[in-house]
Amino acid sequence: MKPPPFDYVRPGTAAEAVALLAADEDARPLAGGQSLLPMMNFRLARPSTLVDIGRLPELTELHRDGDVLVIGAAARQRAVETSPLVAQTCPLLPAVLRHVGHHQIRARGTIGGSLAHADPAAELCAAASALDAEVVAASPTAQRTVDTAALLLAPYQTTLHPDEIITETRWPILPRARHGFAEISHRSGDFALAGTAAVVEFDGAEVARARLAGLGIAGTVRRLPDAEQVLLNRALTAESITEAAEAAAASVDPPEDVHADPATRRAALRAATRRALEQMRHD
Amino acid sequence: MQARYGARPTLLGARTPRVEDDRLLAGRGRYIADVALPGMVEAAFVRSDVPHARVRGVDATAARESPGVRAVFAGSDLDLRAVPDRMPWVRPVQHFPLARDRVRYVGCPLAVVVADDRYLAEDAAELVEADLELLPTVGTAEDALSADAPLLYPEWGDNLLLSVEGDGGEVEAAFEQLRTVSGTFTTRRHTAAPLEGRGVVAEFRDDRLTVWTSTQAAFVVRAMLSAVLGLPERDIRVITPDVGGGFGQKNEIYPEEYLVPWLAMRLRRPVRWIEDRHEHLIAATHARDTSIELSAAVRDDGTIAALRGRVRTDLGSGEIFPAGYGPSLVAVGSLCGPYRIPHQAISVQGVVTNKTPTGGYRGFGGPEGTFAIERLVDKIGRELGIDPLDLRRRMILAPHDLPYETAAGARLESGTHREAFERAVQLGERMLTEERENAGPGAALGVGYATYVEGVASTTFSITGTWSSQDSADVRFDADGGVTVAVGISAMGQGAHTTVATLVAEALAIPMEQVRVVMGDTDTAPFGLGSWASRSTLVAGGAIARAAEVLRRKGTDIAAHLLEASPDDLELVEGRFRVRGSPGSAVSWSQVAQSALNRTFELPPGVEPGLEARATYEPPGLDHVPRPDGKMNAAASYTNATHAAVVRVDTATGVVEVVRYAVVHDCGRVINPLTVTGQIHGGVAQGIGGALHEQLPYEDGQPLATTFTEYVLPSAREIPPMIVEELGGPAPETPFGVKGAGEAGIIGPPAAIAGAVEDALAPLGVTGIDTTPLTPSVLRGLIEEARS
Repeated sequence: MKPPPFDYVRPGTAAEAVALLAADEDARPLAGGQSLLPMMNFRLARPSTLVDIGRLPELTELHRDGDVLVIGAAARQRAVETSPLVAQTCPLLPAVLRHVGHHQIRARGTIGGSLAHADPAAELCAAASALDAEVVAASPTAQRTVDTAALLLAPYQTTLHPDEIITETRWPILPRARHGFAEISHRSGDFALAGTAAVVEFDGAEVARARLAGLGIAGTVRRLPDAEQVLLNRALTAESITEAAEAAAASVDPPEDVHADPATRRAALRAATRRALEQMRHD
Repeated sequence: MQARYGARPTLLGARTPRVEDDRLLAGRGRYIADVALPGMVEAAFVRSDVPHARVRGVDATAARESPGVRAVFAGSDLDLRAVPDRMPWVRPVQHFPLARDRVRYVGCPLAVVVADDRYLAEDAAELVEADLELLPTVGTAEDALSADAPLLYPEWGDNLLLSVEGDGGEVEAAFEQLRTVSGTFTTRRHTAAPLEGRGVVAEFRDDRLTVWTSTQAAFVVRAMLSAVLGLPERDIRVITPDVGGGFGQKNEIYPEEYLVPWLAMRLRRPVRWIEDRHEHLIAATHARDTSIELSAAVRDDGTIAALRGRVRTDLGSGEIFPAGYGPSLVAVGSLCGPYRIPHQAISVQGVVTNKTPTGGYRGFGGPEGTFAIERLVDKIGRELGIDPLDLRRRMILAPHDLPYETAAGARLESGTHREAFERAVQLGERMLTEERENAGPGAALGVGYATYVEGVASTTFSITGTWSSQDSADVRFDADGGVTVAVGISAMGQGAHTTVATLVAEALAIPMEQVRVVMGDTDTAPFGLGSWASRSTLVAGGAIARAAEVLRRKGTDIAAHLLEASPDDLELVEGRFRVRGSPGSAVSWSQVAQSALNRTFELPPGVEPGLEARATYEPPGLDHVPRPDGKMNAAASYTNATHAAVVRVDTATGVVEVVRYAVVHDCGRVINPLTVTGQIHGGVAQGIGGALHEQLPYEDGQPLATTFTEYVLPSAREIPPMIVEELGGPAPETPFGVKGAGEAGIIGPPAAIAGAVEDALAPLGVTGIDTTPLTPSVLRGLIEEARS
């Protein structure tokens, strides 16, 4: 479990970083290293060069830009989890981050790194999906904004180009929305069997907009449109929650792996959806 | 041999902080990976990535050219002997440290690369090309026994490494007359997963081999190295550094432990190999993987007249010493529990498959056997409409039953079987009530129990064909009155230094601070078999008691001479020999030691200089081989306990949480409540892992759990608060009255937790939980089955 030889560079700016990545197609950006380094130790990833973007000051900023919370890609998960600004503007994020690994992992892991890694069970991907968050991706020649649905392609695959890095992540501030998050795991701190991030906006007592994202149930984190539909234009009640949970479970076809069979992941999604929605009940 | 050497308070039973903790907890331990020698090079192994194949050749040409590589060897390059097979009663497994003609599991070492560092060695290992002719895979024990199964060892004619028939006329008679209740109870494959993996460092200098290895049994390693390498034992020194957990897994002797020393001899350079976690999960022994078919002949009142059944263990490839059938034999002995069951006839099958070899793991058959009998007793209760706790009360041994010989031949001289059971039930019911009060409506809570007896300080002859059960202590005074004690047992984090220091200090009436404990080095320790079978305190204690007796006698003679008193008038109090009735007239151990070691002209006539004693203790009354009737009293003593588990089951997802746990335990006299409780906490934690989380599944011979991502160990957050109570007092049959505590925690959890889950799910109609681990997938399936 030792990596093959590789070079290590720590550029001073993001522009320098993407130039280095563009110059060598086998180079990879290194942020918190919580996924890439184990993959290198297993020789599943064999980058020629690690371009360390984890300490670029311009990538670790955290500020409010109008009705968007902007979090630098290299901001550490633990810093975001404990930020008063984040708690105030985007309370789903700290609620979700508490479930990401253990705090030692979150002390290293970054926001952009988790989104770029695109683990199908990543809590941060679920939050981004439920909030319709966007990432800003920079290459040596261009900068573009990609929404979460367009970013996540397949297990551990995104639509980012090899010479692109995420520089910032943009989270809509929804002061009137309620949020919920629940996941079912075999062991605390572990990747969940399934989980649901939910963002619901109300018009009076009725649900005006519902965005639910499921994790652990498909090749990528994905929205649960059937469940969202069930909730619309009615009060959030025990009945509507049960129907939404059933709709969520019925809408997925989870893969089988060593941790659980598909039916168990479906049951976990049903339970997680129910619990996430229960957290925002009025009555 | 208790604290009767004077009036001072005894050290036995005091909550003494562990003497090793300052070092170990502050990161100052010296583990195998901390051993660094000048000029040392590192080894990496090329392991089979297929489960079953003929080895046609290994091409290391490219690997030898790789930067920093010193050497590459394959099986055919080795000039050493096969690992000796000393058990005439099982099929012979001829295995070598590197596969020669066949690989039988994914992870089997095929070649070794030695390079300047581990990185370079792994770079080169990737370049080794093995030419393997694939053979059909034997995936499970059941597949292995089918008529057309491929054979791992074609010369055997089948895949049975061990097959023992249980028989008994009384058993057959009981089954003819009585009602039968049966079940099959399966404990799936998991592993010990100590915090520290394995590792070996070896150096060959001046015609002498020194081997540092993370083992529980340095002398056994030395003997096996001698046999495989062809060196006399005196030319081998085995040193055990600090060991970060052994759990029986490090009582096995592994291919790497022979090969790294061979490399050091061949290359004339120190060589180091440190196992990584991926290697650990495929190449360190697995455990359990045992299915027990068990039937009871049941009287009208539910009590069991006889047991009949078969223990079948999937041994993997069997290429390990000692082979993994030892736990199957112990499981047989544990099936009758602490119950008055007059007869049993249990057969044993050890089956080879294309998986990693199984070996010892804490509990060693006890968890598997206890799971089977406790589940079966619950089933009897259910089928006959008898409260399973009442049913146990009808069968469990009471004080007036002792001494008692179990149906398996174990002679129980002492114990608190009934008392421990009743107390645990009291605690369990109380914990359940408290949890129910705190839980919301609809929470599925349940309580379950497991009661058992556990043989400790067993013989190892029946699984090694070589060693029995003795151990030694060497107690030496220095001239300043301090003592160095060397013992044959071994430390792997369990507090052995503290226990030994306590016993020596107690026996010589000196402060613990004056005792230095030495172990784990074959050059300095007296011969001993190491630490396993919960034996250390009992066997080391026996040897220490004998050595101390010699020293006290000699000390008394010397002191009497110095005091011009009669030895009969002296008493040893707080490190001083004093004349009874005139405490002012006394000499200390250090004065006695100075006479013995320095001022030898002060010695009484006929007393030799020197103040040291070496003693060996062999537990009496053991059977080292089965008696003619097949029964066996294989252990020096037997502990007993009852565990109570309270669980909460999420019926929507199948996730189980153990919310409370209690252990009522009797290990005879408790030397130190802190270390005993610590052992039980750790054992219960591992037991929860095996009952709920851990498993090593295979698909087509490929292991699916090869990292800690797939192998789910419980974390601290999965471990509930625990109540640990110790019953009983000094056992009459052992030195210092001690039994053993190392494995007590792990035996109960599978049965107790399964019982608790079944209790929690009783309203849904879930019955017959007969397999662990109880993962969410398994439980959700059971719940759904019951609902439909």
